[in-house]
Amino acid sequence: MDAFRSLVVRYQRKVYAVALGIVKDADMAWDVAQDAFVRAHRSLDGFKGESSFFTWLFRIATRVSIDSLRKERPWQRDEVDEVRDVDLTDGSEGILATALGTDPRDTLLRRELADKMEAALATLSEKHRTILVLREVEGLSYEELAERLGIHKGTVMSRLFHARKKMQSALRSYAGITSTDPSGGIKFEGDVADEE
Amino acid sequence: MKACVQFAPMIGAREGELSAPEARALAAHLETCAKCRSLAADAEATEGMVAEVLLARASRRDFAPFVDQVMARIEAPSAWPVRWMAALRRRWKLATAAAGIAIALLAGASAFMYVRHRSAPEPEQIASLEIDSEGGNTVLQTSDGPVVLIEPDDGSGG
Repeated sequence: MDAFRSLVVRYQRKVYAVALGIVKDADMAWDVAQDAFVRAHRSLDGFKGESSFFTWLFRIATRVSIDSLRKERPWQRDEVDEVRDVDLTDGSEGILATALGTDPRDTLLRRELADKMEAALATLSEKHRTILVLREVEGLSYEELAERLGIHKGTVMSRLFHARKKMQSALRSYAGITSTDPSGGIKFEGDVADEE
Repeated sequence: MKACVQFAPMIGAREGELSAPEARALAAHLETCAKCRSLAADAEATEGMVAEVLLARASRRDFAPFVDQVMARIEAPSAWPVRWMAALRRRWKLATAAAGIAIALLAGASAFMYVRHRSAPEPEQIASLEIDSEGGNTVLQTSDGPVVLIEPDDGSGG
């Protein structure tokens, strides 16, 4: 039991982060994370060591998160995964990259965007949040995502594309970034044109 | 645009996730397509931000009670029927097979006992009658084996 306790301590924050990314609500994520550990403990004899304990635990956490969400909101509509011409015509490409500059890891705007990320994630559908969280927090590959979500690799790629696009669009919107000007500058909501 | 629809989903792939021909085709497309280069730049600029934000949020939360709450849920007395049912559910194939074998064995044993009870001859009951052709002795086949009836000596021999 002490060994399991130390496993909980070791992985609790990451399991919580995955749950939070999928279910959005902090209290629900807390409960889901606990439930994932309880279920993992009950299923310990079913852990065959084919994957790492970490992978196995996160598989349970993802399943519990999705199940909890579906219990709460079973009516969520499904979205198409395929990429169409219309998905590439909004003209917003590159705005975030330009705004974040050449070293996006160390800018004030990046920290501001990070503050808005949770809200941006919350605007995504369950399946878009889930695939982004599995890709970025768990670090799953295309193959692993396909296996975990029961979809083809091509669907993984197009779903990730849509999820990123929507997340970036929500981020721009929350940060008030509207466009770039021809000189490469960034326009924010409320900016007024320079008077001659 | 048609090519962009094909290549845009490949943007953001990690090394080794695309086949060699796919990776070469994507690289060639990016050289000629400003829109997809911008998409790639956006993907790169925001790469890792989701994990960073969620883990930072988790780090800010006080996890002191978490482990005790988990252990309490695991050790709760009411948990054992749930655990038992869960174990049964996990091993439903094995449980079904075992139940099937048990039922078959029980049915077999019952049928055997029934048939035995109905058809078994009473002890010493004669099942058939045979005559020994050589000696003219009468042989009774009983459940305990053959019994040869020897004619009583009438004392007239000699």
